[in-house]
Amino acid sequence: MTTPIRVLLIEDNPGDAHLTRDTLEQSKLLVQIAVVADGEEALDYLLGRANHAGVGPPDLIVLDLNLPRLSGREVLAEMKRHEQLRGIPVVVLTSSDAERDVVMSYKLGASCYVTKPVGLEAFQAIVKSIESFWFTVVKLP
Amino acid sequence: MIVVDRARKIALVSQGAEQVFGYRRDELIGRELELLIPERFRAQHASHVSAFLQEPRARATGVGRELFARRKDGSELAIEIALNSLETPGGLFTLASIVDITARRHGEDELRRMGDDLETFAYIAGHDLQEPLRMVASYTELLAQRYRGKLDERADKYIFYAVDGAKRMQRLLADLQAFSRVGSQGKPLVPVSAEAVVKRVVDTLAGAIRRARASVSVGPLPTVLADEGQLGQLLHHLIGNALKFQGEAPAVVEISATPLNECWQFAVKDNGIGIDSQHMERIFQMFQRLHERDKYEGTGVGLAIAKRISERHGGRIWLESEPQVGSTFFFTLQAASLPGQP
Repeated sequence: MTTPIRVLLIEDNPGDAHLTRDTLEQSKLLVQIAVVADGEEALDYLLGRANHAGVGPPDLIVLDLNLPRLSGREVLAEMKRHEQLRGIPVVVLTSSDAERDVVMSYKLGASCYVTKPVGLEAFQAIVKSIESFWFTVVKLP
Repeated sequence: MIVVDRARKIALVSQGAEQVFGYRRDELIGRELELLIPERFRAQHASHVSAFLQEPRARATGVGRELFARRKDGSELAIEIALNSLETPGGLFTLASIVDITARRHGEDELRRMGDDLETFAYIAGHDLQEPLRMVASYTELLAQRYRGKLDERADKYIFYAVDGAKRMQRLLADLQAFSRVGSQGKPLVPVSAEAVVKRVVDTLAGAIRRARASVSVGPLPTVLADEGQLGQLLHHLIGNALKFQGEAPAVVEISATPLNECWQFAVKDNGIGIDSQHMERIFQMFQRLHERDKYEGTGVGLAIAKRISERHGGRIWLESEPQVGSTFFFTLQAASLPGQP
């Protein structure tokens, strides 16, 4: 039996969350997606706190930067402080193309930085290439 | 008006000068001119005066740079000065005509502020509206992807209009952002070879040049003071328009420059469809288009950006045109006074 690839999608915009999930679920691979809508809940999920006890860490995180409560930046910084979270690859997927956000994300340990493109087909293509790169090309821990 | 003698002592004072500086005539006559100059400029001023007395020909100072004088109450005012020498039996005097430009400066500051506000607005509109619009566009497109042909013909048409409108709005917002970047992401003006910039722009337009069966000639061009990226953008819009609005014949585009005082006047000349004189002002405004969308594409932002860039470079932009004969766009740039360069 194949174990599903577990993805945590941290995204507060329900439209983007749905599109990303929709595209990832069309994958031929078995992908299990959890969505949380703010930074604090993301850390609860990752650290197995509150109602996320026992879920275990995901294989890949897709992280938006502009989030309520705790920002994506704070999530990255917090993840660095926890040994068990440091090894999880993080794809930053955001509408910001500001140089300072790119630099900051890599400094805080993001694995890659992707700008949300304008246009549905471009967005779907980006999510598909994230999927094929991280799920088939690279070896995840 | 103030008349000063060789020893830089004030000899005559006009009524206007009394008002401007807040002194009575008898408080000024016989005093050193330095009285009217803010302390921080005094040393500099003394060397200007002796330079003028060495070679006393008429000149205007302060045009295009900041010059300040000091009133009796210690406050400062922005001024421009024109100097003339007067040979009299009593010796050489200097006549200084002083214009108080404080009000004009205020006007200029106000304009600059308005420009900044517009840019902030354009940035916010371009950036923050893009996000919700992306949702509208994505989901109408998703509707089109998943449901085209599954509903009735009318539904397909409605979806098409919604997708088309959202996409157009996205282009407008992207252009608004490009417009706002002229000010917010401009780089300092440095000496730049206009010829190298034009050649690069022509290279990037190779595809459009082929399609327009165009010949593009580039005259010898000078080194100018510019933000290289923005100069490229300005030329890209002008040359791009020359190719886009071509007439029946293959396009002929000529780019040249002629000296004009301390500036260079550039010209981008084409043999295209031309512009009626009544539209010549309008075309530099944001999102103004003269043609139906299906005939010539574009949002009408190009010349607004070109104008903004030219203003940022301290120059101006205008055109001469005749319908069905062609247009020539002119713009001015400051010369870079590099030794040995034209």
